[in-house]
Amino acid sequence: MTQSRRDFLASSAAGAFVLGFWLPPRAARAGENVAPPHGAAWYEDPTAPEINAWIVIAPDDTVTIRIAQTELGQGVWTSNAMIVCEELQCDWSKVRSQYASANRDARESAPDWTLTVPGNGGTDPKGGGEPGFGNRARTGVAGIPDSVYRRMRTNAASSVKDGRYYLQLAGAEARERLLLAAAAVWKAPVGELVAKDGVITHRPSGRTTTYGKVAALAARTPHPNPKAIAIKSPDQWTLMGTEQKNRDVPMKVTGECVYSIDVRVPGMKWAAAKSCPVYGGDVKSYDFDAVRTMPGVRSAIRFPIPDPKLTRGHVFSGGVAVIADHWHQAKAALEQMPIEWSVPARNAAFNTANMQAALLAALDEPGTVRVNVGDVDAAFARAKKIVEATYSTPYLPRARMEPGNATVLVTDNRVDIWIGDQSPQETRFSAAQITGIPEADVYLHMCHLGGGFGRNGNGPQAEQAIMIANANRGTPIHLLWTREEDFIGTTYRAMGVARLRAALDADGWPVALEVRTGMQKDGFGPDASFDVASRYFVPSYRFSNHTTDFHVPVGTRRGVGQAAHEFYRESFMNELAHAAAKDPYRYRRELIARTSLPFKNDMIKALDIAAEMSGWGKPLPKGAARAIALEERGAETGGSATISAMVHTVSVSREGKVRLERVDVAHDQGFGLVNPLSVKKQIEGQITWFYNDAMHQAVHIVDGRVDENNFHRFPLSRIDEDPPEIDIRFFATGHWLIGMGHDRGTSVQSAIGDAVFQITGKRYRDLPYRQHDLSWS
Amino acid sequence: MAFDLTVNGASHSVDADPETPLLWVIRDYLGLTGTKFSCGIAQCGACTVHVDGQPVRSCSFPASLAIGKSIKTIEGVSRDGNHPIQVAWKELDAPQCGYCQSGMIMSALALLAKIPQPTDADIDANLTNACRCSSYHRVRKAIHRAAELMKA
Repeated sequence: MTQSRRDFLASSAAGAFVLGFWLPPRAARAGENVAPPHGAAWYEDPTAPEINAWIVIAPDDTVTIRIAQTELGQGVWTSNAMIVCEELQCDWSKVRSQYASANRDARESAPDWTLTVPGNGGTDPKGGGEPGFGNRARTGVAGIPDSVYRRMRTNAASSVKDGRYYLQLAGAEARERLLLAAAAVWKAPVGELVAKDGVITHRPSGRTTTYGKVAALAARTPHPNPKAIAIKSPDQWTLMGTEQKNRDVPMKVTGECVYSIDVRVPGMKWAAAKSCPVYGGDVKSYDFDAVRTMPGVRSAIRFPIPDPKLTRGHVFSGGVAVIADHWHQAKAALEQMPIEWSVPARNAAFNTANMQAALLAALDEPGTVRVNVGDVDAAFARAKKIVEATYSTPYLPRARMEPGNATVLVTDNRVDIWIGDQSPQETRFSAAQITGIPEADVYLHMCHLGGGFGRNGNGPQAEQAIMIANANRGTPIHLLWTREEDFIGTTYRAMGVARLRAALDADGWPVALEVRTGMQKDGFGPDASFDVASRYFVPSYRFSNHTTDFHVPVGTRRGVGQAAHEFYRESFMNELAHAAAKDPYRYRRELIARTSLPFKNDMIKALDIAAEMSGWGKPLPKGAARAIALEERGAETGGSATISAMVHTVSVSREGKVRLERVDVAHDQGFGLVNPLSVKKQIEGQITWFYNDAMHQAVHIVDGRVDENNFHRFPLSRIDEDPPEIDIRFFATGHWLIGMGHDRGTSVQSAIGDAVFQITGKRYRDLPYRQHDLSWS
Repeated sequence: MAFDLTVNGASHSVDADPETPLLWVIRDYLGLTGTKFSCGIAQCGACTVHVDGQPVRSCSFPASLAIGKSIKTIEGVSRDGNHPIQVAWKELDAPQCGYCQSGMIMSALALLAKIPQPTDADIDANLTNACRCSSYHRVRKAIHRAAELMKA
């Protein structure tokens, strides 16, 4: 039934009208057995019996490993398969990854033997870290408690952290059952058998067989006591901890990799959508008759404001979609269709200036005090010197390269959704709520995502597509947003302000620190990196949050609150060091040494290594400067944590052109990294991500709507701004990592600010720096 | 209104308005989805293809301008994924999410055709595609590696 893409293209080369990817007509009908086109990786019913929910071994020894997280560039497709393969002891070259079934995840419970976290938590090498499974709910936040795949969502840089131990267990359980099956065939004691690279050897006789040959029997052979199966500790790893190239890269250099935007279903029509540019607004009227006769145009449909219960409480906008044979036709008609909006007056009155003023005013209110240690007011009263600084960060979208899109087919008894989605269970829930079709009959086919950065589950593209398809039952609808629409249909990192004040003693050491942060009340990560402890020692410390009420939907963008907070904290540390006339590296080092934070020695080590790598203190040419900063998450927990330090060597030309010349990175590897190559790529990418944030990116609110809504006004850094030199050194620590996909490289922000100060004498505290004159003479 | 286009060496008759952006003809009429849509205003380069060897941003390039010319897309770079540029990209494990990489590779190919041994400054000046994952560090190395492989 299936045709490979190449065959299909070859056979259709002479045809006049060709659909790209091809699904057989049965695809939308029969069970879940939707045959993916070449280059796609969505779930397929196996042709060989599975060993357990993660592993299928075919007679030819091919091992299919099911991945419950979405591949969006972080390398989970490879790292999670490595974890399973490490214990399974199969041949890595014969492993292929495939998405796990979201439907099965919803209807099946996790095996008992995956439910217990081994060891004693985050600082036990035999431990399982501290998975964030608590209190999950199907609506709005997470998934399904103790479902078979445990955590079928992709967020919080947790795919490796949360998944490692049960993926190791899955591989180990399958290995043990393969050994039991071979032992049964040979009538030999299982203890005499060993497995390596997919081959089972009976040691006394030297006899061998392969996984593929005993897989069918293993699938029928339960393990008598799976809870007794132990997983390997990092010192026993052989595949994990080695650099492995990403399994899907070969598809990404040929154009074969199927993203959601590439899905084609027979009979599919395209939808372009326009929603009210002011959040919370809706359609007053539209005139479809004006565009009805344009080429390819089929119909138009109004969609309401998606129920906030389905979008984590966020209020997006209502709008109109035009459906046509081709997307460019739908888009062209929509551009010409007259639409009148109904806009809430309160929302239309918001502008960046009045919002920022409201945030700054909130800082003067009492706020919510999160931490209050010592006597801050008394310490300020006897201070030798007081340093105060107010910083601000703008609204920021994720702006992933693939615009929001989804293909949805609703029939009277079933929904099929093809989407790159970080929260598939939430999307299935939305589909059931919108269509009234039981969730058990909602099938979601996971696709690779063209970037994530916290995006999915943070915008209503799935809900819009489901509403449009529900009104066109029987016709598959592919909704695709324009870039401009993508800027509207997303949550933003909240605009933020922070006022930091420090009282210094006669030697320039802080005796009190007061931190006030302000953002809208539903902003994510208000406590990040300032809660519990300041990280740098002060005898008296007070931290408070100050909130306002804005209409812009805000969510979890890469780094969440950490990115802004580390900008505030590390910028201020630089300012204090300069005020104390001390070296910013040694000033930080001393203040960390004075704390009693559990991982203070790891933080000091990170600073020392980064400083040494960078040649800290060695003279640089005029117009260049170094700045150092600490990046950490979980330093106060005593459990899982991720700690790094970076030194950025920055040049600023006389004309004010900034270049990040070199970055020296000292990074915690905990007990071990699963795929150090992916970790390096994540660090490299985040350095330029945060360079972008620091130098260029901002979205302003004008009369309630987002102003910058495409890349001509929301600039993206290009290769000419990528640092020529990035040197990464890993160092071992005694804890498991929290994750590293989203808050490394935050130090670029404070470092550029400090380098600009060192070179030009100008201190800027509001991002992005692009808005300032950075020239000097 | 049908017109003919030559894509990756094969001639296709396309039944579409010739003013349709080349990107949508390639993706939706010819079914070649390796070329990607992202900004729609020729800013990011995700839609880069070659027209008579020149890189163009196909989202803003009417198909009519490509009539009678030779169009090359990512699918036409090699039959087996083993063009030196693809080999170099795989050696460096350059892509992250990969969405921009078809356009990135097409732009890099055009650069290597113009300047077979590019310096870093040549790369900075000529490779203006956007990558949101910032795979640039490995892309730069992969271009140098591809130059080496193509010389050999």
